[in-house]
Amino acid sequence: MSLLVVENLVKTYPGRRRTPPVEAVRGISFAVEAGEFFGLLGPNGAGKSTTIGCLSTLVRPTSGRILVDGIDVSKDPLEAKRRIAVVPQTRNLDRDLSVREVLTFHGRYFGLPAGERESRADRLLAELQIADKADAKPLTLSGGQQQRVMIARALMHDPRIVLLDEPTTGLDPQARRLLWQTLRGLHRGGLTFILTTHYMEEADRLCQRLAVVDHGKILTLDTPAALKKGLPGGQILDLWLHAEAPLRPRLAVLPGVMNVEQVAVEGDGEGVERLRLFVDPADGLLDRVLHEVKGAGADLRHVSLTAPSLEDVYIHLTGKELRD
Amino acid sequence: MTAFLALLRRDVLVASRGAGPLLLATLTQPVLVVLVFGNILPRLELVAPEFRTVMVPGLMSITMLMAGVQGVLMPLVTDLSGSREVDERILAPISILGVALEKVVAGALHSGLAGVIALPAMMVLMHEVGGVSVNPDWAVLPPLVALCGLLSAAFGLTLGTQVQPRFSGLLFAVVLGPLMLFGCAYYPWTGLHVLGAFQYVFLLNPLVFMSEAMRLAVTPGVPHMPVPLLLAGMLGFTAFFTVLGARSFERKTIL
Repeated sequence: MSLLVVENLVKTYPGRRRTPPVEAVRGISFAVEAGEFFGLLGPNGAGKSTTIGCLSTLVRPTSGRILVDGIDVSKDPLEAKRRIAVVPQTRNLDRDLSVREVLTFHGRYFGLPAGERESRADRLLAELQIADKADAKPLTLSGGQQQRVMIARALMHDPRIVLLDEPTTGLDPQARRLLWQTLRGLHRGGLTFILTTHYMEEADRLCQRLAVVDHGKILTLDTPAALKKGLPGGQILDLWLHAEAPLRPRLAVLPGVMNVEQVAVEGDGEGVERLRLFVDPADGLLDRVLHEVKGAGADLRHVSLTAPSLEDVYIHLTGKELRD
Repeated sequence: MTAFLALLRRDVLVASRGAGPLLLATLTQPVLVVLVFGNILPRLELVAPEFRTVMVPGLMSITMLMAGVQGVLMPLVTDLSGSREVDERILAPISILGVALEKVVAGALHSGLAGVIALPAMMVLMHEVGGVSVNPDWAVLPPLVALCGLLSAAFGLTLGTQVQPRFSGLLFAVVLGPLMLFGCAYYPWTGLHVLGAFQYVFLLNPLVFMSEAMRLAVTPGVPHMPVPLLLAGMLGFTAFFTVLGARSFERKTIL
């Protein structure tokens, strides 16, 4: 049996007098195997954090079932909490304790005997490279360091699954890379992770399987490689142009062009439109496309030919770029 | 139970580290009131000497109420703020009710301690003027102080979870201020029969029961409300605020 099973998870936040109810999660199902690095990729407001909240008992599902290691999270939250650790989106370290105490008290909450608390805290402080900050107060640490303390704290009670809710949001590129490295190391050590992110690169680098989520539903679920492979054609030709007449139908019929998608351009694009062509890059394809563009009297602003990325998968699925 | 005790231990540790300011915050008020009403005004013969005896248990109850409410309310404001420090507690292997009850017990410890410290402090300050008949009943005092602590902390939990953090300043002016003035701290409840039926309106104020409880424990010479009514009021209010506070705590923490 899978380590985590989520079945038809639904969460509707009740409305208030002036606000309508919000259907944050609208029937999500997936399973995660032990030792897997699983990702939920989607824009803000897609329902990722609500899903994580339901897994961690902090959000009460409207309906559906969540089993952690065979334990129903709604029926036996205490046992479920022993098996789960959460690295939340907002940094919520106990500001009145030192970094070391944050870890040892977390161990205390979970009933770890004194010797084990201390030795585990020592090991995690070293492993996450925060040993020199052991006596500092969390709020004096940088964002990246606080994130590492939160991961160390999560690992104190030896959880089966670690939930990472947008762990690198707000970190600078170096801190982000360092954290990725740490997470990969921990994963190699056998830990199971569930990560939410809206960073394509992060999802691509860390996750073995990915669920692309939007509007509270899973749009697709597969390995990053398979998701990219699943796109029509082999490459992506990205055109930014200014045209009077619609070009999409003219380009779609060209040989070697599998599919054309119109992508919404953020902000005021000054009449510029963006077309993504899923192409099989055979001889003369570029020529044909450019000829067609010119023939239509369009003004080509920018063009690029790339191997598909997760972003392309995402845009293909949702028809828009990731909102921030 | 392990998690409950661990949380309590954490709260006691953090409180003990900030003991200085905490002590200052809880003792300034009673000490100054005693100085003015218990020392200066009697010397000027502007206040009847008996007032000092009546005032001592009242100030103890006010001190405990403030300490209990603040002991729960202030950490709760941080806990429920944007950073959601409370989630660390909720994710511990303990029920939400357990987390809420731990807060009440921690606040009660804080409150009881404040009351126990306030009493000798007041006695020292009024020492020179004399004529104060304070004879604590040592058998009755500890359980009543504990009950006062629990009531204050449960009240703090209710206020802290029902009132939005940005209004917590207003709370002290609009809720706690009137409660203190009409809390029988500066006059015994039994004497209020001069007000007729209004005497019973005072029973809506939880502080009345705390003041009367301290009156019973600290100044047995002064008349106090009947013990059954006293205990019913204290236990009733404690239970009411604990249930109400725990419920809204759960609503605030679990979405």
